[in-house]
Amino acid sequence: MRTPVRFPARTSLEQILDTLEHDPAFAELVTHWERLPAKPARFAPFPEWLDGRVAHALRRRGIEQLYTHQAAALERTRAGKNVVVVTPTASGKTLCYDLPVLDAIAKDGSARALYLFPTKALAQDQLAELQRLSADIDIELKTFTYDGDTPPAARAAIRSAGHVVITNPDMLHTGILPHHTKWVKLFENLRFVVLDELHTYRGVFGSNVANVLRRLRRICRFYGSDPIFICTSATIANPEELARRHVEADVVLVDESGAPRGEKVLAFIQPPVVNLQLGIRKSALLVGRDIAAMLLASGVQTIAFTKSRVQTELLLTYLRARFPSPQWPPDLVRGYRSGYLPSERRAIERGLRDGTVRGVVSTNALELGIDLGALQAAVLVGYPGSVASTWQQMGRSGRREELSAAFLVATSSPTDQYVIQHPEFVLGRAPESGLVNPDNLHILVGHLKCGAFELPFETASGKAERFGTEDTAGVLAYLAEQGILHEAEGRYHWSDRAFPAQGMSLRTASNDNVVIIDTSGRDAPNPHKGNDARERVIGEVDRFAAPVLVHEQAIYLHESRQYQVERLDWENAKAYVTEVKVDYYTDADLAVRIRVLDEFSRSAVGRFDRAHGEVLVSALPTIFKKLTMFTHENVGWGRIHLPEQELQTTSFWLALPEATVRGWPKERVEIALAGLGNLLHGLAPLFLMCDPHDLGLAVEARSPHTERPSVFLFDMTPGGVGFSERLFRSLDPLLQRAREHLRSCPCGDGCPACVGPAYALGRDVRSAVAGLLG
Amino acid sequence: MTTDLAALRAKLDAIVARDPKPAASGLREAPSRSDISLAAFETRERRIDIGSLGLEVVGHGAPDPGVLVHLGLRGDPPRSWEDILFLDTETTGLSGGTGTYVFLLGTAHIEDGELVLRQHLLNDLGAERAFVRMLQGELGRFRACASYNGKCFDLPLLRSRFVMALRAEITVDASHLDLLHPARRLWRGRFGSVTLRQIEESVLDDGRVEDIPGEFIPDHYFRYLRARDPTLIGPVLEHNRRDIVSLIRVTDRVASAVVAARAGRAPDHPPAALALARAFDRAKEHEAAFGCYESAYVEGDLETRIRAALPYARALEKRGQVERALSLVETLFALGLGTPTWRASAEARLRRLGARPSGRLAARRRATTAT
Repeated sequence: MRTPVRFPARTSLEQILDTLEHDPAFAELVTHWERLPAKPARFAPFPEWLDGRVAHALRRRGIEQLYTHQAAALERTRAGKNVVVVTPTASGKTLCYDLPVLDAIAKDGSARALYLFPTKALAQDQLAELQRLSADIDIELKTFTYDGDTPPAARAAIRSAGHVVITNPDMLHTGILPHHTKWVKLFENLRFVVLDELHTYRGVFGSNVANVLRRLRRICRFYGSDPIFICTSATIANPEELARRHVEADVVLVDESGAPRGEKVLAFIQPPVVNLQLGIRKSALLVGRDIAAMLLASGVQTIAFTKSRVQTELLLTYLRARFPSPQWPPDLVRGYRSGYLPSERRAIERGLRDGTVRGVVSTNALELGIDLGALQAAVLVGYPGSVASTWQQMGRSGRREELSAAFLVATSSPTDQYVIQHPEFVLGRAPESGLVNPDNLHILVGHLKCGAFELPFETASGKAERFGTEDTAGVLAYLAEQGILHEAEGRYHWSDRAFPAQGMSLRTASNDNVVIIDTSGRDAPNPHKGNDARERVIGEVDRFAAPVLVHEQAIYLHESRQYQVERLDWENAKAYVTEVKVDYYTDADLAVRIRVLDEFSRSAVGRFDRAHGEVLVSALPTIFKKLTMFTHENVGWGRIHLPEQELQTTSFWLALPEATVRGWPKERVEIALAGLGNLLHGLAPLFLMCDPHDLGLAVEARSPHTERPSVFLFDMTPGGVGFSERLFRSLDPLLQRAREHLRSCPCGDGCPACVGPAYALGRDVRSAVAGLLG
Repeated sequence: MTTDLAALRAKLDAIVARDPKPAASGLREAPSRSDISLAAFETRERRIDIGSLGLEVVGHGAPDPGVLVHLGLRGDPPRSWEDILFLDTETTGLSGGTGTYVFLLGTAHIEDGELVLRQHLLNDLGAERAFVRMLQGELGRFRACASYNGKCFDLPLLRSRFVMALRAEITVDASHLDLLHPARRLWRGRFGSVTLRQIEESVLDDGRVEDIPGEFIPDHYFRYLRARDPTLIGPVLEHNRRDIVSLIRVTDRVASAVVAARAGRAPDHPPAALALARAFDRAKEHEAAFGCYESAYVEGDLETRIRAALPYARALEKRGQVERALSLVETLFALGLGTPTWRASAEARLRRLGARPSGRLAARRRATTAT
């Protein structure tokens, strides 16, 4: 039997915030305390043309009017325009697409709609929502999710009878488009395509999705339909541009929210300096733990976000130590991240909704709009890497019109330190762009093959098809030469026995994952279970991340259990682990070399030369360190024996004038470059909506290409997804922020938040970088 | 960003080379177009005297609907053997999907005491639409077909081609005899695998010596498309022709087994007899079922006996032979045989038949242990 949940004193969030605001010790940590006032709703009437049954159903649910942005979205789609709706979390974006779709189906029972969500969990949520809504409507509406979990027996009915098919881009890619002849009714009558959470379709995933949508539109043309695209997005600098890249047509922006908002307190938290000389701050994880524990102990349902899987596991361990059983129920705080199996995740989502789970520690897997009920507080351990994510994570608390709170705790990383000292960066206009590069050949070629598999490509002059790139004809001719396509009667036909979509992942560039297998049970056979129980798969990591995460002797964390990697079978992509109990975690290093293959563009900015182009990067994992859990002290190390990996990609680079470093000792040049590299690498994500590790860094005291001291920031995705070109164009503001940050960093000689720690790089690193930047 | 052609090629080399090559890619060669001009598609017809095939049931008289049920029938039973189109496709891949072409359709039907065998071959993918339109005419004359695994493979692919080329439906499988499942029932226990090749060798005693393995067919065809060399497609045509003939002979073998069993001659392989018995049971042909159960039980090894015992006992019971039913289950039970699940059902059955397992059985078990 379970101990009932007993909270010592249920304190209201208002009281907690009041206490915090007036606590001088806490005030020391706060760089900014923003109280966003409640905002009243702005309404618009139902449009006259809206089908009476749909309007009636809304009234039955107590909805008498629309928010202004919903009405605006309806009018635009009515006029046949593609739209992108950009309004805050919980502003009723769903109705912006549900209403046009329901109206169309009410008026014409043959009309069809396709909804794409980035995750299966979101699709399930939307299915429930649409079914609730349609239950009130006196029309025949069949809504289904179609994904890997759909039972084979149900598939035929969904294909022919589903009015609204809810799926994800991956399933569209492998399960629907290559079998379009089974979906004739859908494609002939497709009126709307919904792209929810459009801002997640960026980078590698977005570049792949843009190509899947090209394939979707080819098939629609074949069946004679021309659907309207309705997109929704979190706040980014370029929603229209991103939507246009995906839809490849004009898209109208709807961004004036008419939804009300509850009062919200945002606190920017700067952990205290622990060691002034080394510029080391108290760990954001520990500060975040204290805030989350305080909230949880007061009965406030709280979600904590961390930036990595490892951090999620660490914070979970810390919080569980604060709430030990049997005084506290064992499920009080749960972990939630992408490595978890779907069944584990569904159980956690249910627990959050029914209140048995009071706290969740998550990576960004939960930032998307899954409806978990009213979480009252969010604790963000570390700046999530983009303003859009920050708002989405902060928006996870306070989904109703009540007071809510969000705490952003800075780590000592450069972006965090910049943001915590410049809160206007988050509170002001969205500065960052969602970038895709659908014409990246590494990505496009695969989709061109899939496209040819789905429908032959027209090649005859005058009718020649273009699939994104201007080089479509060239790539098709090449594939024909390779024997993969066959040209006949002015068309390129698929002529290979393989099924091209199979094994082609949209989410990773490397296309294969390393599976993590727990062998702890192998030596202790369990008579009640079969052999299968002795070895079990506990998670997976993509291959590029594998050398760093699951090298031999690495400590891998899962559900706050520690596992040591005993053996990494690199060929077969399997890591064998056993459970251990140790007081350290591991951190691995990579050695990087870079060669310029092609320079796309170059120009001078002040004393610097900037350029971007194509490069070949070689990365070799070298050593790993063992660091203690709470103090991060180095207690050991080892070598990693794994092959060098090569990456052909795009890079931005900055060459410094020789004169700047003339007369400097070689060592000072190296220190200065490393410091400048760290500074730029740290701040670049502010413009790119990417994680720092999506961007690689290499510095060369004398680059064979530029023949000068140079800093390279390259895209970690083969072929690149647009980061380097954007950095090339944004160099002025980047350098400006770098100078600003270097001046205002409170550390002495250099710390991880600016140029890197002086104790590791050299005492004069900060002044050396200042010398370079001028 | 326009890249010049050489640079594009170099990049593509790097990208495409990273993809794993299919196992048989060694067959691929530089494309060359020979001057041999071929029709975009063609039909080859051959007539075979039906007497030469040694058929016992197929083609003789009107098909018995009760027999057709045993031939994997879905849909209404066709009224005459002449109404059934036997078919088999050769395709450019095995995974299905819209990029898999049907390049060869072999069909056979019975007409005036002859087997009319036609092979429709697509020589140019560019002419697929016209090819499919021609197939539509061919298939449209029939509303019943027979195949080997056609429900899962040939028909879905043909359906897909019809939609792609003509946006048309297929009706040839309104009634469909798919022989894969009946063959599996009869022969899997005996030969392990029930590929058509295995059945030919083991059942028809007609193994192939020079046959092209199915997995090489797509690559042969792609080479044929480029080189237009008839010697490349010859083995594929032969393979398809043999498949069709075997399909008809397998159909006949299954039908003969059913006819014989109904006449009281159960298959001489006890597991096959048992499988057939179950099928008869489902079709409510209790007399035929009884004969097969009996044969399976009497001729079978211990494992087959155990599997046959309970349904056989039920059949005996239906015929009023309760005591015999009881004693045969009791014997197996008392010997301590069977899986726990089987023993649980056996015990339930014994109770239902009026035995007192705790009394008679316990006594017998004691006796068994004592010896």
